[in-house]
Amino acid sequence: MIFENMGFYFREALLSFRRSALMSIAAILSITTILLIVGVFLLISVNLNLFLGNLESQLEIIVYLEDNISKGELNTLKNNFDSIDGIKEVKFVSKEEAYQRLSKDLGEQKNILNAIEVNPLPASFEIQIKDPKMIEQIANRIAEFKKVEEVEYGRETAEKLLNFTYIFRIAGMLVLALLVFASILIISNIIKITVYSRRNEIEIMSLVGATSWFIKWPFIIEGFLQGFISAILSIIILYNLYFFAVNKVHQAIPFLPLVGDNLDLLPMGIAIVLLGSFVGILGSMFSVGKYLNV
Amino acid sequence: MIRMFHVYKNYPNKIQALRDINIHIRKGEFVFLVGPTGAGKSTFLKLIYRGIIPTKGQVIVDGINIARLKPGYIPYLRRNIGIVFQDFKLLYNRTVYENISFGLKAIGATNFEIKQQVKKVLNLVGLEHKKKTKPHLLSGGEQQKLCIARAIANEPLILLTDEPTGNLDPYNSWEIMKLLFHINIRGTTIVMASHDKLMVDKAKKRVVRVERGRIIEDTQRGIY
Repeated sequence: MIFENMGFYFREALLSFRRSALMSIAAILSITTILLIVGVFLLISVNLNLFLGNLESQLEIIVYLEDNISKGELNTLKNNFDSIDGIKEVKFVSKEEAYQRLSKDLGEQKNILNAIEVNPLPASFEIQIKDPKMIEQIANRIAEFKKVEEVEYGRETAEKLLNFTYIFRIAGMLVLALLVFASILIISNIIKITVYSRRNEIEIMSLVGATSWFIKWPFIIEGFLQGFISAILSIIILYNLYFFAVNKVHQAIPFLPLVGDNLDLLPMGIAIVLLGSFVGILGSMFSVGKYLNV
Repeated sequence: MIRMFHVYKNYPNKIQALRDINIHIRKGEFVFLVGPTGAGKSTFLKLIYRGIIPTKGQVIVDGINIARLKPGYIPYLRRNIGIVFQDFKLLYNRTVYENISFGLKAIGATNFEIKQQVKKVLNLVGLEHKKKTKPHLLSGGEQQKLCIARAIANEPLILLTDEPTGNLDPYNSWEIMKLLFHINIRGTTIVMASHDKLMVDKAKKRVVRVERGRIIEDTQRGIY
């Protein structure tokens, strides 16, 4: 019965779209606006996450080595570090390299290095880790190795940064959840109004002996179409606005990391389409149900 | 066809709409339901198409106890009952043809059956030439005829009409009455709530008088 009549339901949905064009357009525009707001926030939160991730990935452990370390011991040490879980990259910085860096950092003042006869800087390993939260644990483990003079990872800075990113992420998620909740309420209310304007139709259908699903289907399809079209519209607007904004920002602050890959943005597009369509479907289903009990 | 046993209906505001109603309406009968406004006529009709259920007592329609009917089966009960409302309840954004075909589609008729049936009932009520017109362009009498056409399109066993001549002039009222008699002769049981003394007296059919929720008179070939 359902699939037999699907063609009829679709025609009915499209017809009622046309018959109450003004109402449908108003509904679509309103839903588009809500989805735009959700989308803008999604984009902001995705970029914020990227930015925070970037900040966190700059956290590293520096392992200063004793001067009397042999080449063999150096290799064993590096192999040991490599085998520790949670380490992303281990980079060796020799005494000479450290000296070069310092003189480069000093710039015009590098002459003061001439006063020193021997290179006082120790060789070191710069270790990048996968999960910034593990930094303390890994640093403590490394400190236990022989020939390791000192381990440094900016403990306070790391803790502060991790606290900061944690709070930001939680706050972002809360705001997003609230926003999605609000948008569900608003969209389903918009759908409810479009259904309300046709409550007579529902009553009459019910009185002539139409089953509740026969009455519901065209409304469900219409609700889906309203949600879906709104989602597509808002995605088109968001996409153009976003890349316009990204260009502007990159001109002003070239090194700021921004999500610019279409593939990274795809999940957001899918989320918006799902949000629009599902709320459209469920909203119309429940609203029709309310007027069905004649 | 319709039986009521000790039926009471109370509304939430404690108004007793119907009190101890007992009636038996046989297949093919034409029954006028008369009485002042608020007497309980509309409640009586609503019980038959299961728009409401009785507070107490039994309502049996075509062998079905409507109080025990599961919600999913209500549509199937209603397919045996045509309803004509005083306020028409037409779909004004659809044509005359669509107003009728729509109900037939709802009960699963094929496109061929729908075409045949719509043509038949439009001919019967004399609106064949206006099938593409929207209802708001029809006169009051024509709109009422359209309602009747819609109500009888699936050939129901029972036709309920709630003051179908209430808004019409005597000429149009009589036209509607003739139409209803015609439908009745073909075997449909008709229950008609009415205020229209002239029509009731002229029709010489069974008259059930309801006042303050009770049946106070039930006469064959009665008058208002």
